[in-house]
Amino acid sequence: MNLPSPHPSQTRSGVRWYLRHETLLAVLVLVEILIFASLGRRFGTADNAANIVRHSVEIGLLALVMTPIILTGGIDLSVGSVLGLCAVLFGKLWRDAGFPPWLAGVATIGIGSLCGAFNALLIARFRLPPLIVTLGTFSLFRGLAEAVTQGVDAFTNFPESFLFLGGGQLAGLPTQAWILVIAAVGLWITVHRMTFGRSLRTIGFSPEGARFAGLPVERRLVTCYVLAGAVAGVAALTYTARFGTAKADAGMGYELFAITGVVLGGTRILGGVGTIHGTLLGVAAVAILANGLTRVPSLMNIAGELSGMLTGIVLVLALAAGLVPSMIAARRPAPRDSLSTRNSTTTPSA
Amino acid sequence: MKRTLPLLFLVCLGLITGCSKSDSSSSSPAAGEAITVALMPKSKGNAYFVSCREGSEAAAKDLGVELIFDGPTTPDPARQNEIIENWITLGVNVIAVACENRDGISTALRKARQKGIRVVTYDSDAAPDAREFFVNQATPEGIGYGLMDEAARLMGGEGEFAIITASLTAANMNEWQKHIEARRASKHPGLKMVALRPCDDLKDKAQAEATTLMSAHPNLKLIMAICSPAVPGAAEAVKQAGKAGKVQVIGLGLPSENKGYVKEGITQSVILWKTTDLGYLTVEAAVAVARSQLRPGATSFSSRRVGEVQVQGDQILLGKPFVFNKDNIEGFNF
Amino acid sequence: MRNYFRELCVLAALFLMLILLAIFAPNFFELQPLQSRLTAAAPKLLLACGVALVIVAREIDISIGSLFALAGSGAAMAAAAGLSFPAAVAVALIIGLAGGAINGALVAGLRLPSIVVTLATMVIWREGLRLGQQGVFINLPPGTQWFGLSMAAGQGVVCGIAFGTLLLLALATRHLAAGRFIYAVGSDDEAARLAGISPRITRFFVFLLMGFLAGMGAVLNMVQSPQVDPNSGRGLELEAIAAAVVGGVAVTGGRGRLWGVLAGLLLLLCIGPALTYAGVRPYWEKAIQGGIILAAVVADGLRRQR
Repeated sequence: MNLPSPHPSQTRSGVRWYLRHETLLAVLVLVEILIFASLGRRFGTADNAANIVRHSVEIGLLALVMTPIILTGGIDLSVGSVLGLCAVLFGKLWRDAGFPPWLAGVATIGIGSLCGAFNALLIARFRLPPLIVTLGTFSLFRGLAEAVTQGVDAFTNFPESFLFLGGGQLAGLPTQAWILVIAAVGLWITVHRMTFGRSLRTIGFSPEGARFAGLPVERRLVTCYVLAGAVAGVAALTYTARFGTAKADAGMGYELFAITGVVLGGTRILGGVGTIHGTLLGVAAVAILANGLTRVPSLMNIAGELSGMLTGIVLVLALAAGLVPSMIAARRPAPRDSLSTRNSTTTPSA
Repeated sequence: MKRTLPLLFLVCLGLITGCSKSDSSSSSPAAGEAITVALMPKSKGNAYFVSCREGSEAAAKDLGVELIFDGPTTPDPARQNEIIENWITLGVNVIAVACENRDGISTALRKARQKGIRVVTYDSDAAPDAREFFVNQATPEGIGYGLMDEAARLMGGEGEFAIITASLTAANMNEWQKHIEARRASKHPGLKMVALRPCDDLKDKAQAEATTLMSAHPNLKLIMAICSPAVPGAAEAVKQAGKAGKVQVIGLGLPSENKGYVKEGITQSVILWKTTDLGYLTVEAAVAVARSQLRPGATSFSSRRVGEVQVQGDQILLGKPFVFNKDNIEGFNF
Repeated sequence: MRNYFRELCVLAALFLMLILLAIFAPNFFELQPLQSRLTAAAPKLLLACGVALVIVAREIDISIGSLFALAGSGAAMAAAAGLSFPAAVAVALIIGLAGGAINGALVAGLRLPSIVVTLATMVIWREGLRLGQQGVFINLPPGTQWFGLSMAAGQGVVCGIAFGTLLLLALATRHLAAGRFIYAVGSDDEAARLAGISPRITRFFVFLLMGFLAGMGAVLNMVQSPQVDPNSGRGLELEAIAAAVVGGVAVTGGRGRLWGVLAGLLLLLCIGPALTYAGVRPYWEKAIQGGIILAAVVADGLRRQR
């Protein structure tokens, strides 16, 4: 988990564009689309495309905010539970406290941020390992959601204006897709065009080094985890609006789907390397696979199990494929850059 | 960004070619055309629905229709909606679904009906306006009252009992518990429910829970297991505790999983309907609805396998739940 | 003494819990339910020990619940198909070893991150098993339960095997060079390498051992009942990891004792029954479990800062 990380590897940033992970992933997505378009029944219709988007917004949002966290070398297993807790508290605020949906929504995002802040407090302030902290809050937040509703209580009959968020269309796209687009663009700029993103990578490569370099490591971590909580709150809203019901079991297991998308998207689980557009492609690859398999006549009856298995296999293959560029690089004459030659001698055990 | 542009281009290209290749013919069923029935269990990987599926496949073969059987791999209500929305765009003719979350799924089912897809439900119902018929193997009332009456009979009208359920969030089980409690309050006030424990739909956990329940409540006379893995789990716990006969086990479960315990006299009775018949009848009803042979107002429906069944309003009744006990369980293999 | 502080804390918490139970729910200590409970905990103990060693080596394995189900179902199918009991046990162990070897090869051989590799194998085993068995219980031939012995003897054997394994592993990790390697690799890869230990081979064997223990756990679980539930082991990986962490294994690697893991596991397993005895409705159980895990890590963090 926390293996000593090699320095910014020449293996990724220096690789030709057609060998990069994102390119290969884009090709995979393309191949999936072509295969399912020819084998599947009514795969390529606009309706189905809208379905794919609608169904992957929550996981997409969680994967997007998981990316900066994993970039810092952390992880957040609690996002699915935060979604569940936010969903039932949104329902409670709206139904029992009489909040109008928009106000309840704002409060829900606030609650999500608080959950994220709790994670952040333990991780950044006490410097505890994120994997275990969020494993604890994974149980804690889900448990709170069950305790608040006694497991039974379900919130339903939300007003049409709210359900529009989950079922309507806005300017040709499913409404909630716009949220995903905004989040993606915002995060892309933050991670790839601002020093903020650079500092996350630095923390991922070496938290100590980042501290010595004068980066406010704790503040950066807090931002990432609070953001994850807030966006999980947003995802709770789109989930509730799409499904029409909020219950304590909302979003169960979504954390693993999100992590799968991020890692498939080429983000290194140990931190330091990764892109937002890679994550989007990763989520798309899984979503298209799951959807496409339900449309191939001979596979329809086993689509659920098969898509799980194939996702696992693709995940391992993607990781293994990530080794290829470094193998190619290893065959080339040693780079003149003294930094990278030093790296190649210090990293073989990593 | 320079580097990502070619990627975006590739993906767009893929989307365009993907879209253009497919035809977008309408999904409304034409008379005489092959009918596609899409059948959804609450979750896959559940023995109960495996035997439903057997019956439904037999029916599909007999009737010459295409059957799609898919569902969430875990009992995930949101995933049920996603699959239904996929089926809508796939253009199936009839959807038959066992609903995990009544209110949640009705949104998706209404959408399907708007698109001209016929909808029936089985096992557990959706909102009445979201489907045309409900193939009813037993009402929540029937199940709850049946279990409570059976428990009262075994306990002699007084004493403590406990319930083991699948999870605290399972909608249908919460519904049954409501009716169990209502029946207890009105008919069997001498009985007392001392605990309710979830077992996550796992046999091993149910066994652990039952062990604790018996020791925490020494006067416990009966354990009611209302999810199918819990029945053999509770029975094994009773057997290990050496309390066979002192603590009785009843529940909803498959005969094949409980045969041993019933014969040993640890489990008194297992209540269930013939699940293969339920699957068969569901597909038959779905096809009849799609062919407009079964219309609102019908009072009976003749099934090839089950025979003449009653239709009450918009509910097709499979008949009474079956009580499996020592005397009859040997003859059943599902 | 200071070295054992963390484990002693867990032990103290466990004793506190047991004392509270003794005062408020003396029935908890009745012989029979205690026997059943310990026997049911035996397979979990094996998995928790295995995952603790994996964590000590600074890796993680979340595929163990799925592997446990796969090994158990495979053995049960073999037994149901007419193979002898020892052959069925061999099937379970081979499946376990194979699963462990695959994880080990990918993690240690190809140097892929263990959390992602085992996330993938977790899904692959689970869905593959669902594809094959669909959740239908597998009935075992008569005479399989309790190894064909009486119930009390069978329970004794199951507990004996589990605690014996724990003892062996605990001694081996203290006193055998190979056991110390795991700690060495977990504390510092580079130092271990310079000391002549191969981190890759060590890690591979840790995963192999994990797989073996998962297979063994599946056997100990199988003999406790006349049928095997192919859905078994769902969520077991989290239980095992939680037990290891609460028991004082540091996720940063290189630190942790197996008897601490035993204490951690027993503490976590007491919570559910304690709530039942207290007559508390079960809605708070998950939250309390999460709280205990958090308390354990926070305690760790505070200790380190001192």
